[in-house]
Amino acid sequence: MKDIRHLTHVLAAFVLVTGAFLVIRSLVKPHSYGELGRYRADAVDEIKALPFRYAGKAAQPRCGACHKEQFQAKKGSSHRNIGCETCHGALAAHAEKPAGPKPRKPAESEVVAFCLRCHAKDPSKPPRFPTVDPRGHNPDTPCASCHPPHAPKL
Amino acid sequence: MRTLSRRLFLKVSASAAATLALSKLSTALAWAEGFYREPPWKRKKPYWGFGVDIEKCIGCGRCADACKTENDVPREPFFFRTWVERYAVYKDGQVDVDSPNGGIDGYPALQDPSALAKSFFVPKLCNGCENSPCVQVCPVGATFKTEDGVVLVDKEYCIGCRYCIQACPYGTRYFHPVLKVADKCSMCYHRLKRGLDTACVEVCPTGARLCGDLSDPGSGISKFRENNKVQALKVHMGTEPKLVYKGMDKEVR
Ligand code: HEC
Ligand code: HEC
Ligand code: HEC
Ligand code: HEC
Repeated sequence: MKDIRHLTHVLAAFVLVTGAFLVIRSLVKPHSYGELGRYRADAVDEIKALPFRYAGKAAQPRCGACHKEQFQAKKGSSHRNIGCETCHGALAAHAEKPAGPKPRKPAESEVVAFCLRCHAKDPSKPPRFPTVDPRGHNPDTPCASCHPPHAPKL
Repeated sequence: MRTLSRRLFLKVSASAAATLALSKLSTALAWAEGFYREPPWKRKKPYWGFGVDIEKCIGCGRCADACKTENDVPREPFFFRTWVERYAVYKDGQVDVDSPNGGIDGYPALQDPSALAKSFFVPKLCNGCENSPCVQVCPVGATFKTEDGVVLVDKEYCIGCRYCIQACPYGTRYFHPVLKVADKCSMCYHRLKRGLDTACVEVCPTGARLCGDLSDPGSGISKFRENNKVQALKVHMGTEPKLVYKGMDKEVR
């Protein structure tokens, strides 16, 4: 009968440790952890709710409602597949509230470097892509004075 | 009448059970194998994938730039969720790879274009591995794969141990210097869920990048995978990337 105490001691220790583990776990475990897998399910909703900055190509008709000229010019041009925001930067906020900070427009002095980022001759670019040699192709005149950026093909 | 001894009874039932189990085992195995081999997007809807057409990339770096804007990635040239590498393969077999500031500010001229065999740009981003090493090594469950196949980082829960950065075979993770957590391409999960394309796809001028729903056979990405010869990076690592490339050279790592 005396020997049973060996068992009860071990059992008591086991219950105590397990209980402590469960209590601590319930205290530190985030409440949505494990609902979908070994992660916090709430994190998915938090990431989903992050703000977005680019209005996207789907929003171009909305840009076009206010910027008819550029929208119409670009629609049928060789730049038709380039989103407005590729050149003008993220404008979701502007499309919501045009009165806010003025969108970026490449300055006259920037425009050459800007066009050449895509169009400078480069052996790494796919050969089908239209490029020009910056030193040979009208180096002293801003590109935009000949090629309107929204309908560049002459 | 012969009575069934306990020993005989146990023997007979055990062998009957074993026979039954063996015959079922093969069907069970076949089912499990089919389940394992079948891509998850046959079962789950939607399921996001990504494609890159190397033959269309002009290396303008607008994607890397837009990604930083959209996702508050620090501007310093060490932190990227996506970047564009330039590969230069020379006739003597030498291969140079560079990506100054991720390609955002353009590339310096190649030293000797006449010795060049071929050269091309390769945009890099999270490979969306089905078997992602980064998810496996995370000790706290801060990196995980969502039900729709995107690998995300829970920045509230990340303890900043950097194991995942070590584990990613594609080097697509970095340590966010301000938030002090690991960060990576989220495939613009917040945009996908609103029905928008990722920021990098939106700004790509040539359509070299595309994202979409693999579970929809009519989506751009499904067509891209179906109609082109596509390849993934480092397939030998068994990570099963959902990012595929068209026109990829063997030198691309
Ligand atoms: C509701 C009307 C409206 C919408 C929608 C709108 N804009 Fe604007 N946008 C304006 C107005 C007004 C200005 C002039 C702001 C100023 O001058 O302060 C402007 C200015 C600009 C400029 C700068 C022009 C300059 O001269 O510097 C750009 C570029 C631009 N918008 C692009 C866009 C794009 C791209 C979109 C679509 C994502 C868009 N806008 C949507 C009204 C709009
Ligand atoms: C290929 C790059 C590119 C794309 C794509 C583009 N723009 Fe522009 N945009 C420019 C440049 C460059 C200028 C500055 C022109 C100048 O200074 O002469 C400009 C100027 C503007 C201006 C100021 C008015 C002006 O003509 O100076 C507006 C407004 C504008 N763009 C709207 C848009 C809208 C809306 C879209 C999409 C439908 C769009 N842009 C697409 C490059 C682009
Ligand atoms: C973000 C990259 C990008 C920028 C910046 C850009 N373009 Fe383009 N451009 C393109 C693409 C893409 C095409 C279509 C090429 C094609 O049809 O294969 C194109 C086509 C053209 C074409 C027609 C070429 C042809 O033969 O069809 C001209 C001209 C041109 N761009 C001039 C300009 C000028 C001038 C600027 C600066 C205002 C500019 N581009 C800025 C990407 C760009
Ligand atoms: C003096 C006017 C002028 C200026 C300035 C100019 N171009 Fe051109 N560009 C032309 C003409 C003319 C053509 C040939 C017409 C055509 O093919 O559409 C042309 C053709 C192009 C093409 C098409 C080449 C091809 O292979 O199809 C591109 C791209 C181009 N220019 C880009 C630029 C860029 C970038 C700049 C600024 C660095 C620039 N251009 C400045 C007049 C000009």
